[in-house]
Amino acid sequence: MARRRKQAKGEKLETNMSAMIDIVFQLLIFFMLTLKIVEPEGDFNINMPAQGQPTSSDEIPLPDIKVKLRANPDGTLAGLFFGSRNLGVGPGAFEQLNTEILKLIGRPGDPITKDMAVEIDADYDLHFSNVINAVGACTGRVDKRSGNIVKYIEKIKFKPPTSPTAAG
Amino acid sequence: MAKRPPNDAPEAEVDMTPMIDIVFQLIAFFMVITNFEQTQADERVKLPRDALAKPPEVKVEHSLVLNVGFYRDMQGEKTDTQPWLFNFIDGEPVLPLSAGAQLKKEAILFKNKEIQLEDVTVKVRADSEVQTGIVQELIKLCQDAGFETFAMSAMSGPEE
Repeated sequence: MARRRKQAKGEKLETNMSAMIDIVFQLLIFFMLTLKIVEPEGDFNINMPAQGQPTSSDEIPLPDIKVKLRANPDGTLAGLFFGSRNLGVGPGAFEQLNTEILKLIGRPGDPITKDMAVEIDADYDLHFSNVINAVGACTGRVDKRSGNIVKYIEKIKFKPPTSPTAAG
Repeated sequence: MAKRPPNDAPEAEVDMTPMIDIVFQLIAFFMVITNFEQTQADERVKLPRDALAKPPEVKVEHSLVLNVGFYRDMQGEKTDTQPWLFNFIDGEPVLPLSAGAQLKKEAILFKNKEIQLEDVTVKVRADSEVQTGIVQELIKLCQDAGFETFAMSAMSGPEE
């Protein structure tokens, strides 16, 4: 067997990096390709007790706050009603609803708000985003300074759907 | 200028260390940011936006996700006015109002796994343009199947 050549003076013994770099790049590409940017999603809990279920408490429940949403035939919002008052349409209406709810509960976080409930009565054809905005306006607001959520009323109910006005 | 003596080492080697540092940083970043969880969500559903919709701090243990949306083209325009229930049991789109039988099947699956139906949250991911009545009727079908807890999803962020 031939003798191995002597190492040259001053040459460093280096580990072979190429295998590792291969794998590391593979991993990098894998993670880059599987990355899916998902926007954060939030949930609104809603109270939908099965019909005909008796209420468990003996106390007389507070009457529900009625919020009505009327729709145009194309599904856009035609009117937002708080009780019998028309708050108009557009984003301003939901802000007004938010203010009305605050007026009604007096102080956010009051224990009495736990017993209060909002009943949303929406037209069959109404676009769902309006319902979400109404639910959002009733559940609270985002504090401008701290960015925290101030909770108003958490119990949201829905009135059973009225008969559809449009076929299909 | 003094003349430099010729270098002993014959080859000029590239120093790999900074590159490997960066590459590891990138891998670590992508690993942390990737989540393989949200498999039940469907991209065709354009969720409504609301400032109050904040991601939950405590993850619900058992959930059934219902994606109600429309077929949309590349520009995001609806190609069909009929809403569908996407990504449901078999992966085939179902008409929301005829999903009753499958919801009952789903309820049985939960029962077979010994999960109480009252512990299961039904997450309704409905498109912002779906008729409210359809969402409500879908919830009614879920109630008929025995589900009790419901939540409606929205994107967090200011309303458009």
